[in-house]
Amino acid sequence: MAEIDASIAARKPQEVNRQARTAWGLATPALALMFLILLVPVVVAGVLSFTNYSLGNSGFDWVGFKNFDRLFSRSTYEKMFIATFTYVVVVVPISVALGLGAALLVNSLGRIGDVYKTIYFLPVMATLLAMAIVWEFMLHPTIGVINQTFEMSCGTILEVIPFLANGCADGFPLWLGDRDYAIWVLCFIGIWQGFGFNMVLYLAGLTAVHRELYHAAEMDGAKSAWERFRLVTWPALGPTTVFVVTISCIRAFQVFDTVEAFWPQGGGPNKSTYVMMFAIFEKGVQQNLIGIGSAITMLFLVFVMFLTLIQRWLVERKVHYG
Amino acid sequence: MAGLSISSVTKRFGETEVLKGVTLDVADAEFVSLVGPSGCGKSTLLRIIAGLEDPTSGDIAIDGKAVTGTRAADRNLSMVFQSYALYPHLTVAENIAVPLRMRSLSAVQRLPLIGPFLPGAKEQRSEIATAVQSATEMLEIGPLLDRKPGQLSGGQRQRVALGRALVRDPAAFLLDEPLSNLDAKLRVQTRAEIAQLHRRLKATFIYVTHDQVEAMTMSDRIAVMMGGEILQCDAPSVIYEDPSNIRVAEFIGSPKINILPVELANTEMTLFGRVLGYITEAAQAGIYQLGLRPEALKLTQAAPVVTGTVAHMENLGSEVYAQIALANQTSRVTLRAAPAERRNLRLGAEVGLGFSLKDGLIFDADGKRQRRVEVAVTHEREVA
Ligand SMILES: Nc1ncnc2c1ncn2[C@@H]1O[C@H](COP(=O)(O)OP(=O)(O)O)[C@@H](O)[C@H]1O
Ligand SMILES: [Mg+2]
Repeated sequence: MAEIDASIAARKPQEVNRQARTAWGLATPALALMFLILLVPVVVAGVLSFTNYSLGNSGFDWVGFKNFDRLFSRSTYEKMFIATFTYVVVVVPISVALGLGAALLVNSLGRIGDVYKTIYFLPVMATLLAMAIVWEFMLHPTIGVINQTFEMSCGTILEVIPFLANGCADGFPLWLGDRDYAIWVLCFIGIWQGFGFNMVLYLAGLTAVHRELYHAAEMDGAKSAWERFRLVTWPALGPTTVFVVTISCIRAFQVFDTVEAFWPQGGGPNKSTYVMMFAIFEKGVQQNLIGIGSAITMLFLVFVMFLTLIQRWLVERKVHYG
Repeated sequence: MAGLSISSVTKRFGETEVLKGVTLDVADAEFVSLVGPSGCGKSTLLRIIAGLEDPTSGDIAIDGKAVTGTRAADRNLSMVFQSYALYPHLTVAENIAVPLRMRSLSAVQRLPLIGPFLPGAKEQRSEIATAVQSATEMLEIGPLLDRKPGQLSGGQRQRVALGRALVRDPAAFLLDEPLSNLDAKLRVQTRAEIAQLHRRLKATFIYVTHDQVEAMTMSDRIAVMMGGEILQCDAPSVIYEDPSNIRVAEFIGSPKINILPVELANTEMTLFGRVLGYITEAAQAGIYQLGLRPEALKLTQAAPVVTGTVAHMENLGSEVYAQIALANQTSRVTLRAAPAERRNLRLGAEVGLGFSLKDGLIFDADGKRQRRVEVAVTHEREVA
């Protein structure tokens, strides 16, 4: 007996070791790839953010926190933060709310809903760079449709509206060239482009709402559409909302192509649309200042990571009904 | 509490007519079951009563008042859904409180942060808490109050759904197959509890089920529905012993009633060419159907009416069901026997069967019960 026990005890650790080795062996290729493709670039960017490296230079100097120091002291970067956060704070809530509203409306329609769905989703599918050209035309200060439409109101009763009255007197905004309007135009296009995507996500979420819950709500005395929305729809869309908000935030932080299309150099009038992604592109790629570009990238990653963590926490804590 | 009356309700979904003129009166405090096979329109009828669906024609009245145009929320009915339909984000206590909050608190008072501090809200809220408390005590779900529906078993969810229905004082309770998602043992237990609840609340219950055992055991009256019509509505014992239609006879009772073809010519009734008896009153000659419950058939050696071989046996301990393949016939009959008779019922054994004609139910070829046709046994044939 004792002998057998001893041999089992002796064999067991070996067995376990062998299994562990095989497991590691099998996991290694995937781990290596993950490391190389996903983690190494981040680490490299992190390291470079403490240097003054430029592509083509044979060496570089460590500069410590100088790059980050610059980010938080120079007015250019202050404008970058203002532009980025303005964009995020405006675009995310509005595009989420519009997406939800559109999804609820489309969902309440029958077959015609599909038509609306396609139309609202068009801006998502269209390449933003191509659409930007159309927007640029429309927003042109003199020959653009928008200002020409406004001009038609001059001399009519519509002039009671202060905006139109001012425009007729002093000329209408330059839009893309106007430092007070540029960021709002950018936000508008961001919302226009993004809410269709949120709508599709919400439509998927709505299909998961149990129909009998609406009947239960009606039996329980929820008479208005708002009460049913509060009691059934909104809680059921909790997980979808967390996802939609996170995705919208990340997408808003990543806004780049509109800025690049409208203002290829400089990031808008008086740097009013100098968003982070554009700053990374300008510093890191156009001006070959890899160090400062990497520093902005690290900051960007921190924001996105932070958002993702909040999402994880919300999903696990607040909206998990299972 | 109140009575209900449903008059000539029809419902079509596009081309398909789901309800074909249903009329039913439910008295105050009565427990009526709607029973029928799946797809016969039971849920549709219940949802029309509730006001969740509009009838194509016909009227619903609650307590004598027509409610056909009234929306569900204003009919003061409670409903328990087959899927329970609990709000997944609310705790058990909050779920049960919803009908009271929706009805007794104003929209402003229900607001999350400032609501509790508004005038009058405090008393209302404590009244609601008391009502929830007494409902949960009645259903013995006190320990579950802080859990979410996702953390409950099927039986517990079912109780919460019941609690949400009975926390206020509705005109009637509507239950749509509330036990169909429970396992067999729990179903038997909950069946008894719902029946007790009915006696205790003295409320009007309309109970939809496809399970004839539930209907038989719980109801004051059973309405047997098939193909969008109520075929018969009577007390359980009447439905079982005196069905007015062969489809009712076949649906109620397990195992199913045996149907044998009989022929009426002159005054003789014959089964498989043998004279069974003589009719006492003139009736139309032709083919009829004789229904015999499994317990009406008796094993007999002396002068059996039909003979056959045992084809299948089900021993339930307290009773034995045997399927007998009739000699020279393709049909089988089911026989209920006492355990003592088991030794005569080996598989393949030849047995003789007899029955008393007064236990037989006679239906015409279309399945309508022929109560007028009475058969008397004559001197020459002693049917055991
Ligand atoms: N909203 C609807 N649209 C079309 N057909 C329906 C609808 N609701 C029910 N039906 C049909 O009506 C019939 C009866 O349904 P139901 O009342 O749910 O039957 P059950 O007796 O099983 O509860 C079924 O054939 C079903 O397909
Ligand atoms: Mg049903």
